[in-house]
Amino acid sequence: MNGVLLVAKREIATHIRTKAFVIGLLITAALVAAVAFAPKIMGGPEEYTIGTVNSQRLPLEQAAPEAKFEWRSYPDEATAKKAVLDGDVDAALVGGTKVLTDGEVDSQLGVLLQSTNREVKLGAAGNIPPLQMVSVGADTRYQAARTGMAVVLVIVLFMLIIGQVMMVAMGVVEEKGSRIVEILLTSVRPWQLLAGKIIGLGALGLINLVTILVVGVTASIVSGVAGDFPPGMPGIVAGVLLWFVLGYAFFATLAAAFASLVSRQEEVGNVMSPLTMLMMVTYFGAFFTTTDPTGTLAEVASLVPPFSSMVMPVRMAAAEVPLWQIGLSTALMVLAVVGVLSFGAKVYQRAVLRTGARVRLGDVLRAK
Amino acid sequence: MLEISELRKRFAGGPDAPGGKVALDGITFAVRPGEMFGFVGANGAGKTTTMRIVMGVLQPDGGSVHWQGKAVEYADRRRFGYMPEERGLYQKMRVAEQIEYFGRLHGMDAAAARKACDDLLERLGLTERRGDAVEALSLGNQQRVQLAVALVHDPEVLVLDEPFSGLDPIAVDALATALQERCRGGVPVIFSSHQLELVERLCDSVGIVSAGRMVASGTVGDLRAAEARTLRVVVRDPLPGWADGLPGEVTVTGDRHVLLASEGDDQEILRRAMKAGHVEHFGTEQPSLTEIFKEAVA
Repeated sequence: MNGVLLVAKREIATHIRTKAFVIGLLITAALVAAVAFAPKIMGGPEEYTIGTVNSQRLPLEQAAPEAKFEWRSYPDEATAKKAVLDGDVDAALVGGTKVLTDGEVDSQLGVLLQSTNREVKLGAAGNIPPLQMVSVGADTRYQAARTGMAVVLVIVLFMLIIGQVMMVAMGVVEEKGSRIVEILLTSVRPWQLLAGKIIGLGALGLINLVTILVVGVTASIVSGVAGDFPPGMPGIVAGVLLWFVLGYAFFATLAAAFASLVSRQEEVGNVMSPLTMLMMVTYFGAFFTTTDPTGTLAEVASLVPPFSSMVMPVRMAAAEVPLWQIGLSTALMVLAVVGVLSFGAKVYQRAVLRTGARVRLGDVLRAK
Repeated sequence: MLEISELRKRFAGGPDAPGGKVALDGITFAVRPGEMFGFVGANGAGKTTTMRIVMGVLQPDGGSVHWQGKAVEYADRRRFGYMPEERGLYQKMRVAEQIEYFGRLHGMDAAAARKACDDLLERLGLTERRGDAVEALSLGNQQRVQLAVALVHDPEVLVLDEPFSGLDPIAVDALATALQERCRGGVPVIFSSHQLELVERLCDSVGIVSAGRMVASGTVGDLRAAEARTLRVVVRDPLPGWADGLPGEVTVTGDRHVLLASEGDDQEILRRAMKAGHVEHFGTEQPSLTEIFKEAVA
């Protein structure tokens, strides 16, 4: 075990002080913070169409002179509701006390309506009841935030996993090609070297991921975007970490096994191409999930390893997922990781000392 | 004592060699503690394969490696020092960190690894380069670091594949001195080399391999004794036809006639030479290791 830790420590120590790592970390942190502040900076749509039923028009223009407002009158609440659902109007003011919207009211419009309503009624005696916001559509309060989070998550997970996995592959070939591995393997076992490398580079990935999560959540709280976060955020965050570890372990082990077949860095891309394809498919699956998190495809892909490693966390962020599906998906992925570990360790052990021309996978598996 | 017995290895055939290639065909030799063993042979003779099997990097098809009377296992090899054929170092890692890292991998604690590293850097003249990345060093210095990596854990046995290749004479001396020190400390040292003069100068015994077999081994003196001696006679301005009927061959350079004979009665040859002219040189030639080597692998 000591050997594993020494190898892992070397990987961390070597990479953490490279410019590439430090700069990469700063850039991702900056990007994530920018994403968290983006809704604030970009603002919402500046044109609103508002319907009225038995209500006076509110002087919204005074509060937001740069925005444009269009007013439409409806005879009763039913027609107004239909207009809201059809998307003809962004909101409908009913009887001067109630606002109908499809899903959550646009946050800027909501604030505008409330404050203008209060000003208009300031002269009146007694308490001023705030406007009652009523969604006539499905409960989509958190949909925008969820989708946004899911999209960011897909990109972050994919970049981190493919980045760390490529580092594992390059590291394996570096050691094999330079024959360091011959010296290493007289003092540590192949599985120790393999495990140490995967754990060390995985820890670097986790450092990246934790930084991104901390920066993202902090920036969201500071920018106020966090107010739109759905309940159960700690669970989503924990899920992201768990799924990163599982997905990374799966792909990194395979990458080490494939990379151990070749002796030159130039051959890494070639030998890794099936695995890169698999990662790309997983990535596209996860990206598709952000657009349709409740569809059959997303549901199936979030259960089948290794696709589940990226699809499930994205689905969890984008929509509510039944607990049994999360459990099943985790169990299947853990099984897949265990299987890949034993396969990968076998290939690595047999191929890593066979320097020279590319070793064929079939030969490795057939060898005694 | 490190005993290598009857090692056999055949490599699987590729498209160009369907039957496979026999790399080792029963290599046997032994190295005593404190002995420096020079391993010589043409390229592809089986030196590297033998060393890789000794280090457990390769599995033999047959035969065994014993250290102190016991079959060598992983735990024993952790106490061996090894320098592979193609140099293996992390190019971007710093010199001292790298040496310490390998010390730690061999089971040393941090303090011991650090101390051993400092000592080695001092002895190999690398103290000032300790913080540099390996890739910034010259080839000679990289080779010194490589040796330090092999020596850091104070190994019981040293196996070095071509440690001197590509080095200038000064670096060769530094490396040779470091090896001799270990050897005097009772460590058996095996190294391969194509620089036969160097092997002759440094080694107590020599093994000559050819086509996977040990064709000659023993001390350099033993090998010489086994070799047929050659009598060399130089006669100036002799009578023509003086050597007719004598064994050996005569070459003529100017007025000097040189007779090289590996058989025949040396006293008879001397008498004839003295009668024929002025004898400038009469003696038996010591074959150099190069000659022994060429003879052995022929």
